[in-house]
Amino acid sequence: MLTIEQQIERNAQRMTEKVALICKDTEVSYGELWERCCEEAKRLQEDASFYKGKRVILAAAGNAEFVYQYFGTHLAGGICVPIDPDTKEGRRDYIQSVVNEDFRFKIEDLDGIADIMFTTGTTGAPKGVVLTHENIAASARNINAYIGNDADDIELLALPVSHSFGLGRLRCVLSKGGTIVLLGTFANVKRFFAALDEYHVTGFGMVPASWAYLKMMSRDKIRNYADQLKYIEIGSSFMSIEDKKMLMEWLPSTRMCMHYGLTEASRSAFMEFHEYAENLSSIGKAAPNVDIRIIDGEICVKGEHVTKSYWNESPERIAQDFHGDYFRTGDSGWMDEDGHIYIKGRIKEMINVGGEKVSPMEVEDVLNAIPQIKESACCAMPDKVMGEVVEAFIVEKEPITDAEIMEIIKPQLENYKWPKKIQRIAEIPKTSSGKIQRLQLKVNS
Amino acid sequence: MQVVAEVCDVPVTEVTLNSAIGDFPAWDSMGQLAILQRMESEFDIMFEPEDMMEIEDVNDIVKAVEAKLEC
Repeated sequence: MLTIEQQIERNAQRMTEKVALICKDTEVSYGELWERCCEEAKRLQEDASFYKGKRVILAAAGNAEFVYQYFGTHLAGGICVPIDPDTKEGRRDYIQSVVNEDFRFKIEDLDGIADIMFTTGTTGAPKGVVLTHENIAASARNINAYIGNDADDIELLALPVSHSFGLGRLRCVLSKGGTIVLLGTFANVKRFFAALDEYHVTGFGMVPASWAYLKMMSRDKIRNYADQLKYIEIGSSFMSIEDKKMLMEWLPSTRMCMHYGLTEASRSAFMEFHEYAENLSSIGKAAPNVDIRIIDGEICVKGEHVTKSYWNESPERIAQDFHGDYFRTGDSGWMDEDGHIYIKGRIKEMINVGGEKVSPMEVEDVLNAIPQIKESACCAMPDKVMGEVVEAFIVEKEPITDAEIMEIIKPQLENYKWPKKIQRIAEIPKTSSGKIQRLQLKVNS
Repeated sequence: MQVVAEVCDVPVTEVTLNSAIGDFPAWDSMGQLAILQRMESEFDIMFEPEDMMEIEDVNDIVKAVEAKLEC
């Protein structure tokens, strides 16, 4: 299997003048893209502090410079650590200290590593998911096979490229020889629709919160593009059946492919809304070249796209995340006789804010450090746009206002982690072993 | 400008009439919704989707609020 970079090089040879990237009215051909990536690789190799396997933290802004740096780092033999440019200092320092440590386990494995993607760990500390060149190439192959991407695609990328979904879209389109229009965000809806018109966009990726936002801001304007949009990839969080049916009605000939996956096992299952009209509540079936089994009630995934390790976690610890060759997703589910998979719930306690995963413990740690707060607990609160937002429950030692709490929290946590509601309670419900009963909190709220 | 500064958690002196979506980390889609909701409640107005889609910067917010108040 060719690496993503080898596929881009092949595209640069076969279609040198074809537009690969469009960013703020600047068009970059495949020939230029390859040249700029090679220049970036050379620049790194000439840097005395660079070595093969060096971890390079990249502020993943959705611009052309990031694209050159990302593929250039791979070409030079470096390992990319893409992070959100707006990552708070505490998290950035933590990531920097973790990746700067030497890899403690099986040093030969460093050879094939392409990326370390930091995700929200269940304990609150970010976890570095190690993805090899084989993992990311296999993932792009699987996704392109399901969606049907080809060199004629012109895709609008408004997702963050610091995350698996957005970065994956970039790799999928460039490996096929399509064109990527880098928009960066859905926030400016006027610009989103203007770009659909101007560049004759044929597809894009979005999270359900993006759709809720687009719908709120533009009603059914997307219907005007029913004949233009060949595909939309959707993922990262739950989408209601009503929204799926609405999209099916408004875009009757667009392939709307909803994925199920994790950074550790990107896009493990797919369902196309029109094809799965009778099974819209399922997450579909295993993606091409992927095998999914339900083991002890948990959805488990096997395939070349699945990570083999986390950065600097021991093989014994990592083994706990697998049942043999099958990666444990942390989601409980079941499979019907036709292979449709259904999610029952999350085994891991995460709050999904428009696709951004938030560990309740990370927010609780910040709240608990406030002198006026005795203890706290956070859980998910339904939200009509974001799907879920953070709701905090606090036990006060001394009176403190919401505004005072937010003033302390805001500099320490990214904005999607800020509680949207703070409730004061007499006691945090806990099990006999001292574990917070978040379900009980949700019931009481 | 005060509302934008509060929602985006930046000093009000950093907000100008030309400040636009994306200029501050917190002025993303969540921030945009929060700003528009604050304007609706402070001025007792209701934006239609067609109004909201046209709003890209502080200038647009001012114009949209003025237009609603004139109705």
